[in-house]
Order: sequence, then structure tokens, then C-alpha cells
Amino acid sequence: MTAVLAAPALEAPLVDRDHFGVYVHVPFCSSRCHYCDFVTYTGMEGLRRPYAAALLAEADLAVAALGPAPPTVTSVFVGGGTPTLLPTGDLARVLDRLRALLPHAPGAEVTVEANPETVDRAVADGLAAAGVTRVSMGAQSFDDRVLAALGRTHGAARVGEALAVLRAAGVPAVNLDLIYGCPGEDDASWAATLAAAVALGPEHLSAYALGIEPATRFGRLVAAGRMTAPDDDLLADRYEAACTALAAAGYAHYEVSNWARGLGHASRHNLTYWRRGRYLGLGAGAHEFDGATRSWNVAGVPAYLQAVRAARRPTAGRERLDAAEARFEALALRLRTADGLDPAEARVLGVDPAGAPAAELRDAGLLASGPRLRLTERGMFLHGEVVARLAPD
Amino acid sequence: MPTDLARLRNFCIIAHIDHGKSTLADRLLDLTHAVSERNMRAQYLDKMDLERERGITIKAQAVRLAYAAADGREYVLNLIDTPGHVDFSYEVSRALAACEGAVLLVDAAQGIEAQTLANLYLAVEADLTILPVINKIDLPAAQPDRVAREIEQVLGVPAHEMLRVSAKTGEGVPALLEALVGRVPPPAGDPLAPARALVFDSLYDPYRGVIAYVRMVDGRLAPRERMRMMAAGGVSETEEVGVFAPEAVATEELTAGEVGYLIPGVKDVRQVRVGDTATSAARPAAEPLPGYREPRPMVYSGLYPIEGDDFPALRDALDRLRLNDAALLYEPETSTALGFGFRCGFLGLLHMDIVRERLEREFDLALITTAPNVAYRVTLETGETLMVSNPTELPPAGDIQRIEEPYVAAMVLCPADYIGPVMELCQSRRGELGTMEYLSEERVELRYQLPLAEIIFDFFDQLKSRTRGYASLDYEPSGYREADLVKVDVLLQGEPVDAFSAIVHKDKAYAYGRAMTARLRRLIPRQLYEVAIQAAIGSRVIARETISARRKDVLAKCYGGDVTRKRKLLERQKEGKRRMKQIGRVEVPQEAFVAALRTDEGGTR
Repeated sequence: MTAVLAAPALEAPLVDRDHFGVYVHVPFCSSRCHYCDFVTYTGMEGLRRPYAAALLAEADLAVAALGPAPPTVTSVFVGGGTPTLLPTGDLARVLDRLRALLPHAPGAEVTVEANPETVDRAVADGLAAAGVTRVSMGAQSFDDRVLAALGRTHGAARVGEALAVLRAAGVPAVNLDLIYGCPGEDDASWAATLAAAVALGPEHLSAYALGIEPATRFGRLVAAGRMTAPDDDLLADRYEAACTALAAAGYAHYEVSNWARGLGHASRHNLTYWRRGRYLGLGAGAHEFDGATRSWNVAGVPAYLQAVRAARRPTAGRERLDAAEARFEALALRLRTADGLDPAEARVLGVDPAGAPAAELRDAGLLASGPRLRLTERGMFLHGEVVARLAPD
Repeated sequence: MPTDLARLRNFCIIAHIDHGKSTLADRLLDLTHAVSERNMRAQYLDKMDLERERGITIKAQAVRLAYAAADGREYVLNLIDTPGHVDFSYEVSRALAACEGAVLLVDAAQGIEAQTLANLYLAVEADLTILPVINKIDLPAAQPDRVAREIEQVLGVPAHEMLRVSAKTGEGVPALLEALVGRVPPPAGDPLAPARALVFDSLYDPYRGVIAYVRMVDGRLAPRERMRMMAAGGVSETEEVGVFAPEAVATEELTAGEVGYLIPGVKDVRQVRVGDTATSAARPAAEPLPGYREPRPMVYSGLYPIEGDDFPALRDALDRLRLNDAALLYEPETSTALGFGFRCGFLGLLHMDIVRERLEREFDLALITTAPNVAYRVTLETGETLMVSNPTELPPAGDIQRIEEPYVAAMVLCPADYIGPVMELCQSRRGELGTMEYLSEERVELRYQLPLAEIIFDFFDQLKSRTRGYASLDYEPSGYREADLVKVDVLLQGEPVDAFSAIVHKDKAYAYGRAMTARLRRLIPRQLYEVAIQAAIGSRVIARETISARRKDVLAKCYGGDVTRKRKLLERQKEGKRRMKQIGRVEVPQEAFVAALRTDEGGTR
């Protein structure tokens, strides 16, 4: 039965069979931030309850489709939007339903995104009671001027308060999201933001370069010439500052934009994406991946509700990847992580780990030395270029 | 039935673009009922779509009009159309040689222009009877008296003898028809002498092969008769002869004095070139008609397919265009930067534009065109002389005794107020002032000797913008002159990029080097390494720009598991990389070549 032994080795870089996630999307915000083009809506308060009910119904539909022996859930991620705009009781019901429908691994990671201004004592207690193991907060900056420029409604001080009540409620891990390259930001304010974030001692930090998306306030301002998009060199400077400051504070840089205080605190859910693990996607605009096909739900809330009420998955589109696409995707995703690929995996993806392109990238300091294909920190910020050079034609 | 010579009039119309030549031709057709109203389309004479769009006449054409004159007799008027651009002045001269008379058509609001004047001089040289006609007298801005004085100054014809018409409304056109009959002499020519037919245009028809537009000067030619082209030397059997009435109508023969077509039964226009003389193979003429000349390219450029796979398609397309364009010259060449392509010779910038547009439009090819250049005459230390039409082929400076470049005699007509700016421009282009003459109090004719290389870029645009559009330009080759010329190479990381090499005057080498390196710095994306862009004369660097290394190229997070969008972006990036040209370690996108080589030339329309 050599085939049985060979199969996992061949499949390992393509699909991670050890992890299975559930993503739940909550597309409500009290106001839209100036940089955000995510699927989220303001002014739909009246739809929150029916939406929460629909999530339960969609979970039933989705799990039914998995057959009699569904995989074991290793992570749940409730993202948005602002999930904490749903009453915590509704969030708890969704998480409970998932636990009832699907086997969960012991210690499965359960993350809920929250905006600092929505986290008070009651919410924190509610989340902890619902079995949330990790709260991811959109801090974005610790400079009030920058926060205002981004269209955030919280002040810098609010983040520490929210974190304190989460700790007091017994939430085991917290992530803070930060954004650099923002209007009003300078070297000093970014350094101060990093220092303030580190001082709060979160288990996990994400730092993202500001991207200007067309369908955002920033996108319109840039198009109209009333705002300048952050320049690549400036973003690279800020990125390097983050790498330096967070390394000094003891955070491990395990993915392009992600740092953890010890790899045990790395986001298991996001690692599932990068390792091409499977995941369900519930809610408007949510994406899912069954190991072969990627599909996504309709983005509009009314359309979503209609479909679920009619007992249909609200799928809006899907694509089945061919072998070459899957290999390319695996290469691109895996290289985002500090782990990269071992030589055997690289070869499965059609890349010679000791070939000329890899050697040139090592010379240029974008790939770390050694047999693995691993990006250096500088290489991570040039991920696109590295992938384009390594990927086979 | 051969036409009675006394009832024949062969004439052409000399006019500047937009002065109303095509409209006048339409009116003449109207008044002689040559084209039924239903078939009438605007600007009957211009055949190709391209001509319609550009509003210019590329190929000369001819049309035969039957006119019942006031004297009660019926006359045959052959209108020979002429191209209206300096690139085609040789073709114009042959068309003029086919006529006895020329209508000098001048816009009553614009006055006489350089192009018109140059063609008028050709017509006077060819001994044609000139009928000055002032057109567009219906326009509110018309100044027919001023224009009449201008023409009087140039031509010596009294103002009161000039006809005033509106081709648009038809006013004055009947009088013009009468004047053509009354003032243009009938053709001379000996119907019994050995046949001599002047080819004033030829084109390729996919069904009939080459069709030659001819003026029978002596004798006669008939179908199924062996005929010989006296310059090209080919002998073939004539398939058909005929006249344009205005569509082609086969006739039994063409006799001395007549204008029509003949189908010599050949497949290649180069066998029946403009200016050649057709004669009877059985009873050949002793002497060809004077004035034949091989087509002479003035401007050269490399044409490369953007997609390397299109090279065979480009070759086929050029082969097909050549069937119809005897002046188009090309030979394969290889560029390290651009791959396989062709070095092409053109009559001028407009000719180049037309060829490029036809290749792109009719053959659906995407092309990179290198900057146009002229052909240099290089004398080596060994005494050997060679012509260099591709800058990369210039021998090393040490081997060269001298380089000569082509000059043109240029004529600029402009309002007197703009003499200063025009002279400044010509001086900045190494021009040498010859003469300056006032055509009237307001209008001046300036004559310059200019290096051709200096006018093939943006000279005409500059001339227009400095004179608010009032200046006009004409030029003709005037030989070669020695000049202090150097080759400027452009290097990426020390590797020369052949497509950007240029031969320029020493005084302009720095400006060229600076402009090209600066342009490339904007066009070449940042690379993994710092990239040096240098301009150099031999080993001496004269300009340098640096592209700093790229530091960011990463997509934001895979939000909510949306991997599809990111993968597609990365796939596109990978695809883009494959389409880049590798110059040493530097990756240059095709678009950068296209943009860097895009010249701001405007042609000399």
C-alpha cells in the first residue's frame, strides 16, 4: 500500500488536512471607516436579529452538505464588519450551534473581531461565556489624530480599557490590528503606536500597510487628487520599524503582517488559510474552500436572507482550481508564512528550491539561506515579486 | 473611338489640405453628371477609408468628365487628382506631367500655403497653364481681394483674371468649366508615333493585379498587346485598357492625349512604378519619357511586433502592402531589445504613419516603432563609404573619417508677425537661412537649408504652435553635408539597449542623453536591485539616472479567506513578468519601450 504513504506527501503542500475552520461574517458597522472596502453595511440595525437567525439556518445547510462524517473544527473566526454589534447572546447561539453540529478539537480557537468602542464589561463577559478564546480588536493606531483621519470612532485610550475588561472577563488571548502609512502619521507617531501596542501586552499583533481601495472614501479622495496614496518606500520604512520594534518586544514575525508572542499564539484560523486548509464560510460575502473548490456567498444582506429563508446556500460564485492554479496558489500562500516550504514540498509545487531563481533571490537577500524556501523579512514585503520569480511557467 | 484631341483637356487641381479640392471635384462631377445623385458620396475621389478619415489624398486618381460647353460642343475633361503631402511630391510631379493645365485652388480665408506654392512651382516647371481659383468666397472670413493680390504677386496673373468660386454652393463653378475648355490647351502628342504612356500612379487590385493610371503621350496601346515598361524592363501582355467615367470602363484602345488605365497583367506594383514609361514591345519607343526616378526613402524606422510570435504575420503584411506601395522598402533586422523586426524606409513621416496605421488596422498587428531616423553617409578611414540607416550599425568612432547627413531645402510661409519665432526655431534646428521674400505685406516666404534629421521629430508641430497654426512648410532633398555627429547609446546596468541608440549632433547629445535617461527612469518599474540608466558616447557617460530598488510588493491580508482575488492578482503579475524584455538583469515592460520610443512628431500636413 505504498500509495497510502505517498498520498499525504504529495498533497501536503496543496491542502492542509489537519485543519478545518469556520468563518462567520457579520456585515454590520455603526459607521464606515475611510479605508474599508469590506462587505459591511451601516444603518441596517433592523436586520441584525433576522441575520443572526439566518446564520443558524445557514450553518445547518452547510453542515448537512458535509455529509455524515464532517471534519473536526480547529478554529472558528467571527469577523466583520463589527461582530460585537450583534448582541452577545446571538453570537453565543451561533457558536453553540456550530458546536452542536460539528465536532470541535479540544482547545479549538474561537476568535471574534471587535471594535474597541463596542467592548464594555457586559460584552466582554458575554464573549467569555460564549467560549470565545481570542478577541481581535481593531486598534489601528494609538494616535488620536490618525484615528480621526481614518474615520475611526474610538480614541486611543479606549483600546487599553477594552483590553482590560477582556482580561478581567477571562478572555485568554487578544490581538490588536494596526495600520501604517495613514494620513497624519509620521515616523514618531508610528513608533509611539507600536510602543503603546506592545505596552498593552497582547498575545498577537497584526500590522497592515494602508491600501487605497477604489470603492472607499480614501479611494475617491486619491482619485480626485485631494489625497496622496502612501508611497511604497514610506510603507517599507514603517514595515521595517514594525519588524524591529516587535522583534525587540519578543514577538515572532510568522507571516507578512502578523506577529505572535510565542508561536502558540499564532492565529490558527489564518494559518488555515495560508496552508490551504478547508473552511466553511457563513454569512453575507463569506468565502469557503472545500479543498478543491472556492466559493463565496452573495454580499447583500437582503439577498442573503432571502436565500437562506428559501433553504438554499446563498452561493454567489465558485471556482474549481485546476492543478496548476492550485500549485501556484499554494506557493503564494505558503510563502507568506515564515515557515515557507520544505524542499520536498517546493518540488511538488514545481519549484526547484536550489534552482537559479531561488539562488538569485537568496543572493538578493529575499530568501533565507538554507534548504527551505523561506522569505526573509525584506522578502516578505516583496512577496509578489518572489512568487512571480519562483512560480513555474 | 479615340477622342478628338481638340476636344480633350487634361488638368489637375493644386490645393492645400482643406482648401476644398475634393469638394470642388464633387461639384465638377455634379455639373457634368458623371456620377448619379444616388451614387454620389462626399469626396468621391478619395478611395481608401484612411484617406477619408485623414481628409487627405494619398493616391492620385483620375476621372473623366463629359462636358457640354457653351460653344455647343462636347468636351472630355480628365481630372487627375494629386496627393497633397510633401512625402509624395515625386508622385505629384508625375501627375502634373500628365496634364496641360492646373487649377490653383486657394482658400479665400487662408491664402496661399507652402505646399501649394511648391506644387505650383512644379506645375510652372512642367509648363502647365495655371488657372488661379479663389475658393470659399461664401465664408464670412473670406478675403478674396487680399488672396488675389497674393496670387498676383506669386504668379504674375492679374487679379481680375482669377476665378472666384464656392465649391460648396457651386457658385462660379460653371465659369471654371468654361475656363478649362477655353484656357487649357488640348494635348499635343503624335498618335502615329511609337507608344509612350506615362504611369502617374499604380495600385494593386487583388482580382486584376496591378492597375496603372496612365497618360498616353504618343501612339496607342490596346488590350492583348505585348507591352514593355521601359525603366523596369518587364514585358507582359496588356489585359485591358480603359477610362474612368468615373468607374473604370474598358475601351478598345488608349490613344495619344488620353488619360486612363491599363492592366498590364502583373502582380507587383514595383514592376509598374510611377514615372515609368509603358511602350509597345513590338514597336518600342526610342526614348522613355523624362523624369523617372527610383523611390527614395527619406526616413527609416524599425518596426517590431509587440508579440514576438507575430513576426511572420508582420512579414506577410509588409509583403502585401508592398503590392500596393512601390515606395515601401524593408529588410529584416534583429534587435537585442526588441527581437525580430524590419528596418523600413519611408518617403516621409506621413508615409511612415500611414504604413504603420495600415499594418495595425488592416492586419491587426500591435507594433513597436523605433524613433525615425535618416540615412547617414559614412566615410571610413579606409576611404570606403557606406550608408547607415540604423544607428546601431554605425561603425566605431575611431574607424570613421567623416559622417554626412541629408539636408533639405525647406520653404516656410508665415504671416510677417511670426518671422522671429520661425527663425528662432529653424536656428535651433541647425537651419541656415537662404532667402526671405514678402509675398504680400503680411506674408513672408523663408527658405532654409535644414538637416532632415532635425525636422523628422516635432519640427512641424513646433512650427505650428509657434505661429498659432499659420505657418506652412514644404521641403525637398538638397544633398548631403558633413556634420559633427555622434552616436549616443543608452545603457541599463551597463548593457546597451540597441533600440534607444541614436545618431545626433554633438551639441545635442547631452540633451538627448538626459531626456532619454529621464524618460526611462519614469517608465521602467523599480527592480529588486538599484538600476543605473546611462547615456554614453562610446565609453564616455554623459547622463545618468538611478532607479532605486523596489522595497514593497505585497498584497494586503487575505481578508475573510478571499484567496481568489489575491491569486488572480498574483497570476497577472506573473503573466506581466513573462511579457517583459530582459536586458541583462533588468526587466523592461514592452509598454516602456513603446512609450520611450513614442515621438511627438506630427508629420508635415
